[in-house]
This record gives sequence, C-alpha cells and structure tokens, in this order.
Amino acid sequence: MSSEWILDKNHLSYWLRQLRKEADLIGPLRKPGGDIVFESIERIHEIFLDLPALIPGPKEFLFPQYEKLFNKRDSKVEELSIKRKRVVFGVRSCDVSAVRLLDRFFLDRFEDPFYSNRRANTLLISIVCNNPEPTCFCAGIGTGPYLREDYDIQLTDLGERYLVQAASKQGIRAIKAYSFIFSKPTRTDYDDQFEVQLSAMARFQKRISLERVRSMIITGKVRDTFWEKVATRCFECGGCVYECPLCTCFTVIDRVFGDEIERARIWDACLFKGFTRLAGGVLPNERMVMRTKRWYYHKLVHYPEVIGSFGCVGCGRCTIVCPAKIDMATVAIKIKALADNEEKIIEQKE
Amino acid sequence: MKRRSSNRKNNIYLPIKGRIESIVPLTEDVNFYRIRSEKPLSYGVGQFFMVSVWGYGEVPISVCSLPEKPEILELSIRKVGFVTNAIHRLKEGDELWFRGPYGRAFPMELSINRDVILIAGGIGLAPLRAAIHWLIKHRKKVRHISLLYGAKTPSQLLYREEFTQWEKEGIKVVLTVDSPEDGWTANIGVVTTLWHHIDVDFKRAVAYICGPPVMINASMLDLYRFGMPLSNIITTLEAHMKCGVGKCGHCYASEKYICTDGPVFSYEEIKRYRLL
Amino acid sequence: MLKVLTVCPYCGCGCGLYLHVEEGRIIGVSPSRNHPVNRGTLCIKGWNCYEFIQHPDRLRTPLIRKNGTLKEATWEEALEYTARRLQEIISLYGNDSIGVLGSAKCTNEENYLIMKFTRAVLGTNNIDHCARLCHSSTVGGLAAAFGSGAMTNSISEIRDARVIFVIGSNTTEQHPMIAMHMLEAVDKGATLIVADPRKTKIAEFASIHLRHRSGTDVALLMGIMNVILGERLVDREFVMRRTENLEIFENRLREFTPDRVEKLTGVPASDIRKVARVYAAEKRSMLFYAMGITQHITGVDNVKALANLVMLTGHIGLPMSGLNPLRGQNNVQGACDMGVLPNVYTGYQKVTDPKARQKFERAWRRRLPEKPGLTVVEMTEAILDGKLKAMYIMGENPLLSDPDLNQVVKAFEKLQFLIVQDIFPNETIEFADVVFPAASFAEKNGTFTNTERRVQLIRKAIPPPGDAKADWQIITELSTAMGYPMQYRDTYEIMEEIALLTPSYGGILHYRLEEGYGLQWPCPDRKHPGTPYLHRKKFARGLGTFLTVDFKLPEEMPDDNYPLILTTGRTYFHYHTGTMCRRTTVLEREEPEPFVEINPEDAEALEIRDRSRVKISSRRGSITLMAIVTERVPKGIVFVPFHFREAAANILTSAALDPEVKIPEYKVSAVKIEPEETEKILKTEIKAFRTR
Repeated sequence: MSSEWILDKNHLSYWLRQLRKEADLIGPLRKPGGDIVFESIERIHEIFLDLPALIPGPKEFLFPQYEKLFNKRDSKVEELSIKRKRVVFGVRSCDVSAVRLLDRFFLDRFEDPFYSNRRANTLLISIVCNNPEPTCFCAGIGTGPYLREDYDIQLTDLGERYLVQAASKQGIRAIKAYSFIFSKPTRTDYDDQFEVQLSAMARFQKRISLERVRSMIITGKVRDTFWEKVATRCFECGGCVYECPLCTCFTVIDRVFGDEIERARIWDACLFKGFTRLAGGVLPNERMVMRTKRWYYHKLVHYPEVIGSFGCVGCGRCTIVCPAKIDMATVAIKIKALADNEEKIIEQKE
Repeated sequence: MKRRSSNRKNNIYLPIKGRIESIVPLTEDVNFYRIRSEKPLSYGVGQFFMVSVWGYGEVPISVCSLPEKPEILELSIRKVGFVTNAIHRLKEGDELWFRGPYGRAFPMELSINRDVILIAGGIGLAPLRAAIHWLIKHRKKVRHISLLYGAKTPSQLLYREEFTQWEKEGIKVVLTVDSPEDGWTANIGVVTTLWHHIDVDFKRAVAYICGPPVMINASMLDLYRFGMPLSNIITTLEAHMKCGVGKCGHCYASEKYICTDGPVFSYEEIKRYRLL
Repeated sequence: MLKVLTVCPYCGCGCGLYLHVEEGRIIGVSPSRNHPVNRGTLCIKGWNCYEFIQHPDRLRTPLIRKNGTLKEATWEEALEYTARRLQEIISLYGNDSIGVLGSAKCTNEENYLIMKFTRAVLGTNNIDHCARLCHSSTVGGLAAAFGSGAMTNSISEIRDARVIFVIGSNTTEQHPMIAMHMLEAVDKGATLIVADPRKTKIAEFASIHLRHRSGTDVALLMGIMNVILGERLVDREFVMRRTENLEIFENRLREFTPDRVEKLTGVPASDIRKVARVYAAEKRSMLFYAMGITQHITGVDNVKALANLVMLTGHIGLPMSGLNPLRGQNNVQGACDMGVLPNVYTGYQKVTDPKARQKFERAWRRRLPEKPGLTVVEMTEAILDGKLKAMYIMGENPLLSDPDLNQVVKAFEKLQFLIVQDIFPNETIEFADVVFPAASFAEKNGTFTNTERRVQLIRKAIPPPGDAKADWQIITELSTAMGYPMQYRDTYEIMEEIALLTPSYGGILHYRLEEGYGLQWPCPDRKHPGTPYLHRKKFARGLGTFLTVDFKLPEEMPDDNYPLILTTGRTYFHYHTGTMCRRTTVLEREEPEPFVEINPEDAEALEIRDRSRVKISSRRGSITLMAIVTERVPKGIVFVPFHFREAAANILTSAALDPEVKIPEYKVSAVKIEPEETEKILKTEIKAFRTR
C-alpha cells in the first residue's frame, strides 16, 4: 500500500499547520550555537530542513529516557500512559527502519503498553537523506537513505517540490484530508526522485558491510585480545546505548513523594557493571570486555539469528556520542581491516 | 507502516494485590510467605512471579507451591537486597503485590517412568519444593526419587519439618552442610560428594537442579560424566531482572532472555548458548 | 517537548547539554553536538544528571530548629529569624564572629551576591569555599609565578598537542570529556606522559607512566628540570625575554640530580631523563595537573615547580602550549573569580589594596573590612577557639568534605547559629538552625565558568520544587531583611554589576552569552571575543618569575604504627559528597559501597582477601569498608574515595595545611589496615568446588 503525490514546498507549512491542529508537531529546530534538536514547533518557518543526525533520535518519543509508569496512592494504582497525538516531522530513513524493529521488540510476545500507546499516536514523516553525514552508513545495511516500503510518510526533496509517499493508513489520512494541496506526480518527478536516490547513495563516505564483520566474529577470527583493546578505551558513559535507536534496556525505579508512590522506568545500559548485579552483590559481567562483547554480539550476532536483521541501522549516532571512538562503525572498520589483513596473508602463502 | 492494533487485555507491568496470610521463618534470613491473591492464579513448577513492594521495587521470586488452591501463592524469600529486606519488614495481613507467573516451567512430565534426582543448594530448594509436591502428587508414575540438599549450616536448611513427610512418600533425602553444628550426624561437604548415597540408573534418569551457579555447574558436569543425557539435566538460572517479560534487558545472555526463554534450561541449552 | 540548553552540573569540564522538558518535568538529557568541550558526548554522570533534580528528597520548605528538631516554616519566619540572630551575634561578638561558605556548585551571580552580602552586610572577610580544599594552591602558586591562576589553554586545543604531560590527575575518570580530547591527540600520534602513584585509567594510554611516591612531586619535577638544564634543553631566548629570577632558582635545581631524585621518588633516573627530553623537545606540549599536585602541604610548591618547568622550556603563551590546572567543580573557577575567597574581591582584586577596596566601597556604599578573613579549615579552628560563633553555608557539605571530620563535628556542635542553604538534606544540615531550600541548576538562570575560563549560561527549564528559591533570590531577601536592600530583576542584572567591577569579566554579559557557547575570560569589553589562551606575548604580571622551591616530606609519614600511606580521591561514578549522584539510580548501582584499594603484596602480608571487610585507622579515627585488592595502587599506598558517609575517608585524613594557602593534605596520611572479624566460612562452598 503506497500512494504518491507532489507537494509544492510553498505549501509545506500550510500542511504542517493543519496537522498541528490535531497533534503536537515535533520537528528539527536550530538552537543558539548551531545544534539542531527535535522540539515542539511553535513557528513552522523555523523548521530546519538540512538535517544532520539528531541527538537523540526519535526513540525518545516512543520510549523516553524517563517515563512514569504508575502512581500509587493508598491502595489505588493509576496507570500513566501518554496518549497525546504527535507528528514527528523530519526523521530519517534509518530512524524509521529502527522503529520497525522496535515495534517487533516491544509489541511481540508481551506487548509493552506504554510503548504501544505512544506508538499508536505517533505519525512519522521521514525525509530521504540526499546529503548523508560522514558518520552515516545505512546504505550498506539497506536501512536508508530512502525506504521502499513500511513507512508512514516519506518525502523526497526534488528542489522546488517534494515527492510525498504514504504507506500507512495514518499517513494516507494525513494527506487525503488536505488533498487539494497535493497533486499527481509525473514521469519527470519520478526521474528526479531516482536521481536524488542515486546521488544520495553516491555521497556516503563509509561503506561498511556488517555481514562481513559478522562472519569474522562467528568464525572466531576476532580474538579476545581485540575486544580487550576495545574495552580498555571505553569510558563507560553509556552514550552508545542511550543514543542507539535500537537499544531498549531500562531499569525501574520507585520514588516516594509523601503519600504518593511513583514507579517509573529510565534508560539503562548493559555497558554498566552494575546492570547485571545479582542480589547479594555478585557481578557476573565485572570485566569491561565482557560487556563490550555483549553489546557487539547482541547487535551483530544474536540479532541476525533471532530477528533476521542486524541490530544496527547505520545511523552513526554512536560514532557521534562515543568519546573513546569505539563505536559500531569504527570497530566494524577495524574488524574489516583484520579480515583484509588475513586475506593478504593467505594470498602471500599461496 | 502498519500499526498493530492493541490486543492486550491488561498492562503487563501492573501488579495485582495480594495479602500476606502467614509468615513462617524458615532460617535466620529466609521467610516462608503464604499469600492470598485477589484473583485466581495458575502456574507451573519453576515459574516465577515479580513480587512488588511499592516504594521499593520488584524482584523475581520462584514459586514454591503447586496451584492447588488457585488463590494461594507460597513463596520462600531470602533477605538479601533492597526489596527483599523490605518484604521481610512486612507483617501478616500486609499487602504484597505481584504479577506473573513468568518463564518456562520445569518439564515435570520428563520424570514419568524415570528415576528422579533433585539437587539443591541453600535457597535453591524453594522452586524444587514445588517439584517435590508435583512428584508426590504423581508418585505412582515416577520411579526412584532422591533429593540431595546442601546448605552452609544445618540451621540454614529450608523446609526441615517437611523432610519426614517427604521420606514417608518414598523420597530419599540426603543432606549435607559445609560447617556442621552440634548434633549434626549427616554429611559434611558439597552436594557433589553425595552421589554414592543414591542408587539410580543415571543413563535413564532425570535431574532437576537449583542452587548457586558453581554448584549447578559442578552437578551438571558430574551427571553428564555419569552418562545422563544432556536434555535430562534440568536447571534454573538466577539473573537480575526488572520486568520479567523480556523487555528490560537485564537478564539477557547470549540471545536468550532468562525471564522468558528460561529460567529453566536443560544442560544441552546451557551448553549451546553458553549460559553459565 | 522543549529542550533547554544548559551546562552539566558535575565537573569543571562544563559540557553543554539539553534538558528535555515535557509537561513541566524533565524527562531526559542529551549532549550538545557543537559544544567545543563535549562535542556530542557526555560521561555517565552527565547522561544521568536529570534524575536527581526531581528526587523526592529535595528540600521544599524553609526549616527552623525548634526544641532540637527542624520544623517547617514560612520564608518570612525563616528570613526574619535569621536576620535577627545574625544581627544579635554581630552586636555581641563583632563582625568577624561570622563565617560564610560560598559554593562552587552555584552560579557566578550567586557567588558574587554572597560575597557582597558577607563583606557589605555582615562586614567580614570570613568567606571561603571548597576551592580552598582543591585548587587554592593553584590560585596562590600561579598568581605568584604568572599573575593569574587558571588554565592557560583551551580544551579544544588539546587534540592538536604533540606532548601531553598529566601529573596528579585521573583525567579519564574525573574530567572524562577532557580525557576524550587527550585520547584523540594520542590517536593522532601525540606522546602522553602520566605521573601518578596509582595506575589510573589515563595511565593505560600513556607511553611513559611515572609512579612516584605520594608527596614527592616537587622532587620529581626538580629532577626533570635538572635534566633539562643539564642537557641544555632550556629555551634560553624565552627565559631571557619573558621571565626573571632563573639564576636564583638554578642553584637549587642543580642539587636534584636524576640519581638523587630516583632515591626520593622511586622513579628510575632513566625515566626522568626520558620525560625531560620528550617534554622539552616539543613546543606543542601541554601540562595538566589536578588534586594530586595541589592537595599536599607542599601544594603551592608543587604548583610553583610546574610553573618553573613550563617557563624553563618556554611551553606557555601559545595555543597547545601551557600549564593547565583541571578544576574540579562545575563552577569552582567562577566562585574563585567572584572573590568567594577571604583575601580578594572579584577578579582577584586584593582586599588589602586600598584602591580596590575603595572601588567596592563606592559601588556598594558600605565600609569594607581591610584584613583578609579566615579560610575553610581555619574557620573550624576558630569555632573551636570560640572566635567564630555563626556560619552561613551555601551549597557545601563540610561535614563530609573537610579533613579530620571528628574535629569538624566537635566544632559544628559548638556553633551558636548555623544557616544551611542546599537542595538536599546533607550531613551538615544535621547541625543547622535554619535551612533554606534552594533551586537546582535546572531551575534558575545564571552562569558557570568552566575550567578553561569559559563563562556559560545555564537556563531555567522548570520551576523549583515546593517553596524552594534560587540561591540568589534567597541572598537578596536575607540582605533586604538585614537592612541592605538588594534588588535585581534576574541574574543578568547581577552579571552587569560584576562586569562593572571586574576587569576580566568586563565584557561578559548575558546577552552576549545567548548565542553560542560562552566567552572565555579575560574579556575586558563588550567587543572583546574572549581569550582562548593566556599569557600571550606577556605574562599577566609582566615577566614570569621563577620561584625557588625545595623538597619537603609530607607532614605525616608512615611509621611502625601506621605503616601505609592513605591517598583519597574520587571515583568515576560518584561526585564529592554524593548528594546528587548517590540519588541517581545508575550511579549508585555502579558503586554502591565504600571501598579501599590495596596492593596485592600488602594485602597478602595483612591477610586481607579481595572484597572482604577491613578496618582502616589513622591517628584521628577509623572506618570499616570493603577491600579491593588491585595493582592499581602501588605497594605501601591505599586509596579511599571520599564520597561515602557510611565510611567517610575524611575521618582519617589529617588537617595538616600548606603554610601559604592553607590547603589540607588529603593525599597523604599514615594509616593501618586490619581485616575485620568475619565469619570464616564465607565462600568456603565456592572454594570447595574450585578445588575439586
């Protein structure tokens, strides 16, 4: 189910203004100093469209860093669930790909009601990245820079106009309600779209094949000494986990405010030694290298086995937030170098 | 992008209210709690509940009874951390909230027409108590039953009053401690020194094990050497958990969530996934 | 969903971060990508700094002690009562019977106001803050040598340095985002030299790690300089044109031959030579130090020795070339700049200088005291001597942070009147007569000055809880209640007053800080772009001066009764007395209990097992805690972090002070350790299985 339209750029703000009547409109804004962050949009013309990877990604709208779950007063427990409608404008293809995986994680088997509520009320409008950042490597994983299916609304910037694609009921509804500003795409539009896609693909600075990295790991060619070196550098900040659009670990805290008790969940990270602390103080993963490996194995080995895709969408956020430069891309490139080296040795032997 | 229509009936994180009907101290730091639930429950041997004290948090506790009375839950809880200390401060008649049951149960049907060995260390006897009750209930379908149970000291052995009853049902109970106290006549040492006490055909028996990781490892290794099939060696693992439903990530270990894929695993799975 | 750009409230790095606000609550935090310090990263404390803000323990109402217990009161009652008591005490015992502690956690504006309140309203110079306990040696030592006591370079310069020499700083754990820049420099081929008795994390990346004995820093530095002199590595041109008094210093220097220094410090002479050559050879070399240098009775001498080293090699006054004290608290630089010190007004203008004093007297329209006041540790002594009767403590916790706590407790019991102004109940509040609930960093506007002199805006994201108020508001109201009205619409008006009276802050005004990430002082006028590195072309005092230093042993050396050296410090996961971080789930879980690090050799000799309980005693007291047996500490030295009230390291530390700036010697005290009586069967089960 995909429907396509053309939207004149002059009409974008009108359309967003209409969407905002029914929902909180969130989009990228430029802050003093030059940072670009997702925020509720007050003045639509201030939306900043030339996007870098935003910190944090849209995960925060579906699974916030701090989320109240319950309030208990006397013997009554109140379920706190945000049902506010939201339109998040300007997310990237990799983010949408990540949300698809998050859906499977949070909604399959045991359905997480808090995620589910937020998810059902969030419309994602993604923009095809025609200018990927140096940190981006989604192209090699197939999670970007544009999506073929399974998005809400996808915009492709064709200069004066957007090619608008909708692939969900909510997405189509958000367009059809204002159909008079949308028009039918022509052959030229599709040709332009194809060109944008091609040129986007050509602009990636990083080419990373996670498949190659995975096979190096599962065939035992990445030794523990390699992981030790990676782990030694780790600052234990948790940034990679907090910012990873696919990391979902949390911990639950209870806080007592007078006669009211609040139960909330907050982001947690498997990179902390206390994360697996057993009652009585035993630390099963006390050595950093075990935790480093756990993170990489989860994303590169276990994810493909269990889910069928990598636990990484190539958004490059860990590259930005890692103070030690032991992020997914850097480590993957190092492992690939090991592989290349090995091939060279084999060639020499032959 | 499809939104799944929500098919949930209730919030998986929302605990239900129970009341502590009775508290029996089992050892210095372990209490036995009989809890009456507001709603009927059904659970299997080896499953666990997330027990919740508002203002403190939740902890996973294995159930140590069979669901014979659907509104009654029996738990043995050791005072070891923040939440369990809070539980120990509760009195009879107080609220205790919980949700569950969670996790895989012990495959008790494996024991039918087989010799059964139960191996427990310390608080590890709690989930196996439910197994013993199951075996007693199905006594006719099960062959020899032996329990090898170790603790640090004699006074730290759980369910001492029930041993005679169990023996009456034809269960061979072999006890051992690390440090004996006055009047102790049974064994001294670790449980894996007790194999000569039992007379079973290891190749055709099934074992249920629960205790500290070192004990589990040593027992499983011995049984494996004695020729017990890997899939007949069953244990249950402990892990830090916050949700019990495979979301919080704390108990994740090499592609398995202890809470939803376990906590009961066979030795074969433990080896395959390197869980211990 | 709103995102408010502000500055991290933990360490002196001053990382830029956003607080995420939803429905009046803070629900998250994210790093600023373009901020020159953190560039899109944060450490674990920064990532979790949102949690304590809305903690249920926050103080929400003023409290007054009645019949021994603290009772809730209105602001009117609390302010009126406080004003009355303070006036009574002044009229009975004089102005100097009151002491005030400002706070390195509060904003510049608030520190300026409390300084003004102390001097103009209370009429005393008895004002100090925790900088006394961390970097007073820097302020004293560098002011004497260069004329200005602050980091000379900028953090963003680090990654282009060629040599990085870190002495007495556990940078990776205490200033993680500065260590990030160092690591980048190392990745680009820079040489990292670390001098620290402990094998700290930063030492893992070092090409050379010098593990000198605690308290022998002067000897080590003299040894290095001796080699530089002997091997003609001195930058003669620089010394001649920019400095003075080398000839006086030179003679002393010749006594410290590498072989003699090897005996004093335990560092091989060959390593000393190597470091001297590496450091002297590269112009782009940056020298960093922190508490390992300053917290000694020879703290000022240590700093002077470092100043001599950079002048000898001419490694100062250029980008990527300088001497860089890493300041601990988020605003300890600012609190010093604001004159929350007993001897200076803002911008280090001396109270003894009549011209400076007259300037402030005219601006504040009050006569000001002429004699410098008491320092932190001297205040404790003055209470015990009966000279100090009342104290006003804003955002500090001396009952855990000061040395020789048992003495401090005695002193505080003796106080007639104590005002504590804080965001959480802490150890000091137990002695308070009045408690003022204050706003946290997320609940007010103002500025922090980070370790590289960068003055940055913090912005209000949410209102304070309950009746709590921003510290600056509390001070203005108390001052008004005492008959000296202070009226400011918001903190920008206070900043304007600071700029007017402080040459180095002359061009620093809130409207200029709105765009971008702050200004680095000195910034003398409104057009000035700020100063990324100091002492360009000439030193602040004109010529840099070589100050002669000599080697002195620490006050308390190990002996037969107390055979080990105790050194104290912080851990990565905690911060100071733990009021914020110990109320943060993840941080508390990582490091939930106090510990002592001990070398395996010492542990074996004392029959101490890893993770067993031990008792440490010094001449002043004892604590029990968990032992961690590790190679991180060398033989003969044990390390205890001071965050934990349940085993407060400062019960053990000595209040021996540097004679010049009165910094206590936290880094060296003599102690003994013994295993605590515990059940022996512990873990026998595990052992039994292992031996099978």
